[in-house]
Amino acid sequence: MFQQLINGIITGSLYALIAVGLTMVYGILRILHIAHAAVYVSGAYLGYVAYTYTQSLILALVFGAAGCIVLGWTIQRFLYTPLLKEERIVPLIASVGLYIFFEDLFRLLGGPYIRVFTVKLWFDKITWGNTVITSHQALILIMTVICLVTIYLIITYTRLGLAWQATAQDMDTAKAMGVNIRQVVNLNFLIASAIAAVAGVLTAINYNSVLPTMGSVPAYKMFAIVVLGGMGSIPGTIAAGLIIGMAETIMSAYFGFIMPRDAIAFSAMILILIFRPEGLFARAR
Amino acid sequence: MSAILQTEKLSKFFGGLRALQNVDLEVRAHEILGLIGPNGAGKTTFFNAVCGVYTPDRGKVFLEGKEITGMPTHRIARMGIGRTFQIVKPFMNISVERNILAALGKDRMKGVSPALLGIGLEKSREEVRRLLRLVGIESSIAQPARTLTLGHQKRMEIARALALKPKLLMLDEPFAGLSQEEIRPLVQVIKSLKAEGITILLIEHNVPFVMEVCDRLVVLNFGEKLCEGPPQEVRNDRRVIEAYLGS
Amino acid sequence: MGFGYFITIGIIVGIYIILTLSLNIISGYAGQASLGHAAFFGIGAYASALLTLKLGLNFWVALPLAMLAAGIIGAGVGIISLRIKGDFLAVTTIGINFVIVSVFEYSDFFGGAYGISGIQYPELFGLKISKAYYLILVFVFVFLTALFCRLISKSWLGLALETIRENEDAAEASGINCKKFKILAFAIGCALAGLAGVLYAHFIRFITPIDFAFPISITIVSMMVVGGIGTIRGGILGALFMAALPEILRPLANYRLLFYGGLIVLIARFQPQGLFGENPFLFRKIFGRSLPITQGDKSGMPGGRK
Repeated sequence: MFQQLINGIITGSLYALIAVGLTMVYGILRILHIAHAAVYVSGAYLGYVAYTYTQSLILALVFGAAGCIVLGWTIQRFLYTPLLKEERIVPLIASVGLYIFFEDLFRLLGGPYIRVFTVKLWFDKITWGNTVITSHQALILIMTVICLVTIYLIITYTRLGLAWQATAQDMDTAKAMGVNIRQVVNLNFLIASAIAAVAGVLTAINYNSVLPTMGSVPAYKMFAIVVLGGMGSIPGTIAAGLIIGMAETIMSAYFGFIMPRDAIAFSAMILILIFRPEGLFARAR
Repeated sequence: MSAILQTEKLSKFFGGLRALQNVDLEVRAHEILGLIGPNGAGKTTFFNAVCGVYTPDRGKVFLEGKEITGMPTHRIARMGIGRTFQIVKPFMNISVERNILAALGKDRMKGVSPALLGIGLEKSREEVRRLLRLVGIESSIAQPARTLTLGHQKRMEIARALALKPKLLMLDEPFAGLSQEEIRPLVQVIKSLKAEGITILLIEHNVPFVMEVCDRLVVLNFGEKLCEGPPQEVRNDRRVIEAYLGS
Repeated sequence: MGFGYFITIGIIVGIYIILTLSLNIISGYAGQASLGHAAFFGIGAYASALLTLKLGLNFWVALPLAMLAAGIIGAGVGIISLRIKGDFLAVTTIGINFVIVSVFEYSDFFGGAYGISGIQYPELFGLKISKAYYLILVFVFVFLTALFCRLISKSWLGLALETIRENEDAAEASGINCKKFKILAFAIGCALAGLAGVLYAHFIRFITPIDFAFPISITIVSMMVVGGIGTIRGGILGALFMAALPEILRPLANYRLLFYGGLIVLIARFQPQGLFGENPFLFRKIFGRSLPITQGDKSGMPGGRK
């Protein structure tokens, strides 16, 4: 039973990592960045390539993050920013088109099959009574905590973080008060993409595989999590990610017959929205 | 002298904030009543509570003797209250004509099948023109509303409210955001409406206008009615002066 | 590539035109987010399949019933839209798509992952309607749907929907019952999607849950965006263009999705009003003039850059 709890927290942590980036982008640009899943998968592939050549996990993470930062910046600079003035649906469609493009690109470049991605860590697993935490799972937990704490510190305690908060609340007012919007948007994408890369590498390691379609489920499921948390709210998204991760794991372990795993996230989201139409942790606007 | 609008002990709370407290107000037929008070006094909240945007927590609202407290906004609009907004709300991407038609068609939009009827443009156009002429923007009839200046949009909003053939016209700060050149013609418009016998309740900060045009004033402060009476009386009332100075 | 190939393309294009036009009522006219439209496509298809196969009903009886089913559930979504708004509604409709497809996939009643097969061609006066006759059938419905949409756009209902899209507060203050009309928009739009579903089911005669999954919803939305949101001709031409695209790209075989995705990005980036909506760049280049502005004007999802 405890094992399932751990598994749930691990899944939830991965979800939280991916979803946080999404919610950050939405918080600033009000765009549903479906292509974020493409960034996530790129991170996994880049990390895989780096690890294959260097056998160093650290380099894999760094290389993945660096690549994704560039990718994320490009998407924001050439696709989203010019489309900010259009109807809301347009950047969404552009984002979807981009995801379709990238999923096929991964298939063409990396092959349509699963590539095995094994990383050996310095310990095998931690055992505690009946529960086992594998080394990969422990790594995920550690990295998640590091990433989320870093974000928290940046947003709360730095000047740039304050600018971020202001822009998220009201871009026009922030601009009028002298906030460098461009810088905030860039930084925002930087952090979001870097974390997506980390999530990509960690997921790949956890499941020992990299494949072109690994982003298709997260692309849409992450939105259930972002919405559940209250769009644009970072703490809300983290909480929602953990909740959904645990709910999925426990439900499919004990009540697998009721509904398929992927429908759980959306069903939970719809139910909760009916009672709280602005998400669990609605932002005070 | 019959009352078009009457409120009894109208109250609205937002959590601990008492936005409106026991407001008794009466708008008499054919008069222009000015609702004034410092910022945050509850004037727009009062409008919203009357028009159904907010459901009052306490008290009642009567339109020509019939109770309308808490009815949905569209029903109150159809029963005869036309209102404009502090921040103007035009239907941006459609033409001025269609903006007016939206309110003009209130009887058509009641059921589903009548709603499927084609808009008899030829028949309605005359009425649309008449309304636009009343507010002085007839020439803009075919333009999309977003191309109008703020002043013209505000006039369009008044025409739209008039299209409801309202018993009461409620104007929320008709001059807010307008330049002097834009205000002058709008004052004329409102005066001409009064000449037509339309009953008007308005919120305004523009003191000279209020003095000149309103028959009576009601002063709100902190959600409560402070005093009421003819403009000159109210202007010299000690409590009113304190309220404005203190804000 | 015989005649039959073109008939198939024509039928699929026709079905997508109906889907795009039906979505246009909800998102184009009324401005409500609806990113899960394929779910109602599916409800129509499955309803008709089950009614004809399990209850033995005649196609012509099953058709309106299936549309009704889609319309009623659509009205349900409309009721949800009263409570959940804007981007939350957008994601909720995605969720509804996933949930409904899950229901199709995981319940034996709907045939599970294997779907339903053996659906029959419709019959009229003893004549089996298939192939070329089916194409005619589809285009009759396309014509009727387009006519209906035109009727709406010229009616008081169309005006009411437009006001809801533009400014709900002002619409209410003008005497328009926004709740009623929102539900109506969803009901009508989803019922028409159900119509498309019926036509699909009885042509392909074998339906599976994947046929109605979220990617299909995105396809429909892209057709609307590419063609130009809010206009009838945009809906028709957008569907035509996007449905023809996979066939045009066929020679690119292995790179099809790459080009498809890339094209969507390019169009969204450089011609966001759609290829056939207002101010179409491509059209002007080719024909040297703009298209006439139709009554639908410019419109789109709620929460636009106001």
